[in-house]
Amino acid sequence: MGTCANNRASSSGWGPNTCRLLLLLLPAQVVFGQAARDLEGIWSNATITPLERPADLAGKQTFTAEEAAAYEKQAVERSNVDHRSANAEADVASAYNQFWYDRGTKAVGTRRTSLIVDPTDGRLPPLTPEALKRVQDTRAWIEQHSTDGPEGRTLGERCILWATAGPPMLPGPYNNNFQIFETRDQVVILNEMIHDARVIPLDGSPHLPSNIRQLMGDSRGHWEGNTLVVDTTNFSGKYSVRGSDANLHLIERFTRVSPDTLLYEFTVDDPTAFTKPWTAQIPVTRTKGPIFEYACHEGNYAMTDILAGARAAEGKNPK
Amino acid sequence: MRYSLAIAIAGVSLLVSAAPAWAHHAFAAEFDSNKPVKLHGVVTKMEWINPHAWIHIDVKNADGTVTSWMVEGGSPNTLLRNGFTKASLPVGTEIVVDGYQAKDASNKMNGRDITLPDGRKLFVGSAGQGAAPDEKQDK
Repeated sequence: MGTCANNRASSSGWGPNTCRLLLLLLPAQVVFGQAARDLEGIWSNATITPLERPADLAGKQTFTAEEAAAYEKQAVERSNVDHRSANAEADVASAYNQFWYDRGTKAVGTRRTSLIVDPTDGRLPPLTPEALKRVQDTRAWIEQHSTDGPEGRTLGERCILWATAGPPMLPGPYNNNFQIFETRDQVVILNEMIHDARVIPLDGSPHLPSNIRQLMGDSRGHWEGNTLVVDTTNFSGKYSVRGSDANLHLIERFTRVSPDTLLYEFTVDDPTAFTKPWTAQIPVTRTKGPIFEYACHEGNYAMTDILAGARAAEGKNPK
Repeated sequence: MRYSLAIAIAGVSLLVSAAPAWAHHAFAAEFDSNKPVKLHGVVTKMEWINPHAWIHIDVKNADGTVTSWMVEGGSPNTLLRNGFTKASLPVGTEIVVDGYQAKDASNKMNGRDITLPDGRKLFVGSAGQGAAPDEKQDK
């Protein structure tokens, strides 16, 4: 395994920036035995490392190897407890035992304490006043109308787009897997949750006209050395990254840093939503296939149950 | 206005998803915390469907009649990866299900706790560690 391998146990391992520089300067075969531009495969971004740095880790950017191991041990022990709550409402909300989830048991290989690397405090920058008002208005609307009809439920509940499927791709509760296919002119990212395939042209063509808006935006890719850079604009605003809007400009970077590790980084630049851009970094690891189908709508009994439950509560359809 | 707010919900879902666990949908919207249910039944079918699997059980009532219930489980992909297979819960298995009934008062409930006759709980544990040892498989 090469020097840039994701050897998380090593206290003297090279950082991702050093690896990136190395990948830019050296022929791929010198760095590791396969072409560094080969991103194909099935990858998992499951991790217990949170997007934002928890308050009790303020000021601490990275764990030592020992701290990371202890953090993982603690997280696994915590999740292995049967979380029944004496409070019935909380008990219903927590829904399942941990067995139903697949978050993984590992912190990220970089040993960072948050996925966000910029700002350096590992926290999301504040929303702009306008974005904050939009979020608050939406919350208020949800409280009043979330069971009026299917349109009031989340896109995820409606089997349209899962909130962490992206772009950008973030770890979620399960199905944290995606497959990358490469051709000469295109890269395709197939996400297991909820079944989306993103086709990214590499032909240098410009983005769609600005009046054409898409749920997952319009992605265009190009290579910078051995890093695939994907630039996405033209979002519809119907899907949002922690408060982003239709003006989101997303830049993703995929770098193969070892035979079994991709370094995935993304920058959210949305001046009307966030007071400054923010960047997250997730080393994703090769995983066993296959990517399973996620035929969601067909079996989504819950949507009927939720709306029927609301009608029953209104006394319109008592059983 | 209504439409524009409705379509923005997906984005806010991340901001408001502070629930202790995060399923495909809000369980608190589907199941009623005022209707706790504990049933002893026999498995008649398991639907391996997305977004969540459903276990069907028959419950014998005191008067000898039988009532069928559906129990909501987890993502089938995840169940399989965690070692839960078609053979893990065969038809005819007696289970005790402890959870909450659907708000519409139909015979559906969430599978909060599922216990086998020998006392083993099926779904206690984290990824890769939850299945009973003899059900673990290398996926």
